[in-house]
Amino acid sequence: MINQIKAIYEYREMIFSLVKKDLRGRYKGSILGFLWTFINPLLQLVVFTLVFSVIMRAGYEQYYLFLFVALVPWMFFATSVQDGSTSILREKDMVKKIFFPREVLPIATVTSGFVNMLLTFIVIFIVLIFSGRGINLMAVICLPVVMIVEYILCLGIALIVAALTVYLRDLQYILGILVMALQYLTPVMYGIDIVENSGAPSYCIQLFYLNPMTPVIEIYRDILYYKQVPQLNTLLIALGMGIVFVMIGELLFRKLQKGFAENF
Amino acid sequence: MEDNNNAIEVSHVTKTFKVYYDKGTELKEKILFWKRNKFENRVVLNDISFSVKKGEAIGLVGRNGCGKSTTLKMLTRIIYPNSGSINMNGRVSSLIELGAGFHPDMSGRENIYTNASIFGLTKKEIDARLDDIITFSELEEFIDNPVRTYSSGMYMRLAFSVAINVDADILLIDEILAVGDANFQAKCFNKLREIKNNGTTIVIVSHSLGQIEQICDRSIWIKNGQIAMEGKPKDVHLEYLNFMNQERIDQQEKERLKQQQNEMKAREDEEKRKKEEAEREKRNRRYGTGDAKFTDIKILDKDGQEQTTFRTGEKMILDLSYHVEKPVKDAVFGYGIFRSDSLWVYGTNTRIDRFDIFDIEKDGKYVVEMPNLSLIPGQYWIDVTIEFGDGNPVDYYKKALNFEVVSNTQDVGVARLDHDWKLEI
Repeated sequence: MINQIKAIYEYREMIFSLVKKDLRGRYKGSILGFLWTFINPLLQLVVFTLVFSVIMRAGYEQYYLFLFVALVPWMFFATSVQDGSTSILREKDMVKKIFFPREVLPIATVTSGFVNMLLTFIVIFIVLIFSGRGINLMAVICLPVVMIVEYILCLGIALIVAALTVYLRDLQYILGILVMALQYLTPVMYGIDIVENSGAPSYCIQLFYLNPMTPVIEIYRDILYYKQVPQLNTLLIALGMGIVFVMIGELLFRKLQKGFAENF
Repeated sequence: MEDNNNAIEVSHVTKTFKVYYDKGTELKEKILFWKRNKFENRVVLNDISFSVKKGEAIGLVGRNGCGKSTTLKMLTRIIYPNSGSINMNGRVSSLIELGAGFHPDMSGRENIYTNASIFGLTKKEIDARLDDIITFSELEEFIDNPVRTYSSGMYMRLAFSVAINVDADILLIDEILAVGDANFQAKCFNKLREIKNNGTTIVIVSHSLGQIEQICDRSIWIKNGQIAMEGKPKDVHLEYLNFMNQERIDQQEKERLKQQQNEMKAREDEEKRKKEEAEREKRNRRYGTGDAKFTDIKILDKDGQEQTTFRTGEKMILDLSYHVEKPVKDAVFGYGIFRSDSLWVYGTNTRIDRFDIFDIEKDGKYVVEMPNLSLIPGQYWIDVTIEFGDGNPVDYYKKALNFEVVSNTQDVGVARLDHDWKLEI
């Protein structure tokens, strides 16, 4: 395992290059290019605000902020899983002809999404200030912690689905649907308080806490919307799951990557 | 690693590929059409072992599909053997694909970074080599323009410059040496020599035997998944070419026999039609009074078997039978050999060769024996004639026969003239 991490480290320049290439492709030197990556979340923002704050009042003030600070981290998770699953397939020409530690591909995909999220956070901060809600610096200091935990979680899942998708192409479409469903089963559009007060049976509520993204999203919201210093220990389970995913992912990946070049 | 002087050790490696009848990669296909997922196991490499010393350069040769590229890919760790082991001692760089990771909108300079990083170089290493790479590619003027503005030649030159400037202990090259114009090729070749002199171990897969002979110390010929021969490139290549030529002759023979079989089957139904067509054709290529006519014309080899492919220097026999309608006084037999581009190679007849005057009154045949057909490889045809002594044709049959010459020597021209070299250097 250590040798493998060393090998991947040796190829760090390739990871940087791939991330740069991907961001270049997205932003292509213009401000407008950057904004295009917003269309999807912006659209969701508008529609969900309409539904949950105007039509079906969920009772959160400045609902668009409530949603925005949760939607952006969620998009990072969603694209890590979906783009991660096709990360090897997309570069099959390279994989068939050149040697490099194949992990580089899902790592580059997740890292690229991470950088994207960081850039979007600049916009979040600007919006928070202009909306009058403001920022709590003490709470914001905890932001890197939850970001790293989310990164680890996304990386682990990306490794697993990237390797599996080479052998089972349908997986990329199945994942698309699963992620969409998961978006509703995670407190993104609503808070966990609604779930707890809903009167649903307790095993249902327990399921929510089994979802590793739940504490992650809650913490983002604590920091940015409620402006409270978050209870970081709730992240421990998510961190644990993330590490387990990474380990399983790497083991699975090592085994499956031997057959990549032949299975395209 | 058994012997530390070795850079590469391949030990009892077997590689099998699953050849699917029709592979299903979708879930639906895997479940519904599970019968289709039947496959055949095709053994590409069968218990191969060889080693390469540090600093040695070897070439892998063999016909298409023999397993050379598969071997190279296994040395690179793109594919893994089914059994056996491969040990590589040192940093491996493989040039199987040029220009991987090139992004059309990024400049040549940026693409050098991307491409070199895929070869495993760190930013520091790339910075150190950047100038060398740019100079080698001769693209200084254009290096900051986006790659999509490059011509395909420039593209290749950039890709190759990066590839050849990657410092490695072991360099694996798969048929990419045939890139660029003659000057650039010479440059690449010299660079390869330089690399070899610095102690890099090199493995080349190529169909260009000349290139391998120039650089490699040893050649390995892979045939049917096993090593057929290993040794000095010149020796191995000679055997390999002999084998390929023999295969070609056998293949032509097979095709000819098959054709014969087909003709026999169709003969009953199509005899009349064929005769009429043949007559029409012959009328265009054949003229003369018709007092005598060729009936059966054949080319034979030294064993008296009909043959159409010969090696330079072999014996060739023309066997020409004819039927006489009306006696011909002062007959002359002749033949002419022409190359496929209509070059008249040689022609003679019984008059030129100072035969006594003779008449032909009944059916017969004449045979021309050429003990040493020293023609250079190519396609040829033969005109055969029966003429009157004054030159008027009785039956002049143009392009009566076709044959091909093969050889494993690369001399050029029309025919091989016997010669001896004496050096005083």
